[in-house]
Amino acid sequence: MNSRVVKIAIPVVGASVLLVVAFVGWFVISAWWSNPPPVLGFGEGPEQPIAFPHTVHVSDAGLDCQFCHRTVSTDEAATIPAVAQCLFCHGFDKIDGRLSTSETAQEELAKLIADLGEPQQPINWNRVYRLPDHVQFVHAPHIQQGISCSTCHGEIGEMQVVKQVRNLKMRDCVDCHRDNGAPTDCSTCHY
Amino acid sequence: MATKTKSSAQRDTPKWEMVIDLDRCTGCQACVIACQAENNIPINEESAFHEHRAIQWIRIERYWEGEFPDVKARFLPLLCQQCDNAPCEPVCPVYATYHNEEGLNVQVYNRCVGTRYCGNNCPYHARLFNYWEPVWPEDLRNQLNPDVTVRTRGVMEKCTFCIQRIRRATRGGEAVEDGALQPACVQSCPTSALVFGNANDPDAKVTRLKNDERHFRVMEHLGTDPSVTYLKQVDVDG
Repeated sequence: MNSRVVKIAIPVVGASVLLVVAFVGWFVISAWWSNPPPVLGFGEGPEQPIAFPHTVHVSDAGLDCQFCHRTVSTDEAATIPAVAQCLFCHGFDKIDGRLSTSETAQEELAKLIADLGEPQQPINWNRVYRLPDHVQFVHAPHIQQGISCSTCHGEIGEMQVVKQVRNLKMRDCVDCHRDNGAPTDCSTCHY
Repeated sequence: MATKTKSSAQRDTPKWEMVIDLDRCTGCQACVIACQAENNIPINEESAFHEHRAIQWIRIERYWEGEFPDVKARFLPLLCQQCDNAPCEPVCPVYATYHNEEGLNVQVYNRCVGTRYCGNNCPYHARLFNYWEPVWPEDLRNQLNPDVTVRTRGVMEKCTFCIQRIRRATRGGEAVEDGALQPACVQSCPTSALVFGNANDPDAKVTRLKNDERHFRVMEHLGTDPSVTYLKQVDVDG
């Protein structure tokens, strides 16, 4: 009777220990080598409240990134433009939208107007890029040094849905800083 | 020391230093409050003070001198002295605290594993440990400074000379005008007792004041070579 219990117990315990060790090993290896978990927009990229196509605006209309993301060369964040700035091109009072003729565009524009509500609220875009809280990243010096947006953000102009293309782990930042002679002092980013 | 200063001056790297004139300090605690707000320091409960676990990057040390009625109050604002020969640095097993080119004693929160060796080795008690997860009242959560990391439980923290302001001021690469860059404590001092500046600049106010005849540095005999210089309070009546 006893020996039968032991006979069953040994492989069960052995298997569970192996499982735990394998899980820890897998966790460590994947954390070291892989990208951060895909919750932040790797792969498909998060769905946005309005299907804003960068393809149309950047590749077709030929807008510069800074036309909409205005504070990128002076401030910490590139910032997402206010709806008023969309209005600048799309006259919303005329629902036909001067520069948008496709049906999808009509739908999305109508959604945009409906979403604004009264009083008008900003759109709740879903975040695509997120850095940990202990990293202080400032866009301005990177732009001022002539680093192009696509270095980190990829070819946004060819993305129907914006997704994260670089993992932006510390090794990624430090490698680039070394290559470009930028400071690698910890307190450059961590404070 | 002399060669070190010279070489950093040649590279045009600033050496940030502070002078505190004790003759001007009234002990009003404005610097303490300003620091608390600027650097996302959690609000200390009274019990935290009793347990000696309260977090204050700058504090006013108060001393009574003499017997009543001839009693005098002395105040000494004490913050991280940003020592050039810092006792906290060599004891860190994970290199979470080190000296950077600008003469700042830097604490890297995400490296810190919370051994507290540095705090034990600091003669000024300027290093503080997060014994708890920091909490703020719901109303105050939106006033947190986005330029400063909120430290979690289990890491050491201390005065940074408001490095976020230094980074912001020096971002463009041009030299900072003397007096234009002020940490929160210096900015809030109503009597201008605190002066901050680049000690590598011979014309800076801080350079002039630190060579004043009243100058002294706290616990200088330990050889820590602090970056904060105090000016003695001189009584007219002796």
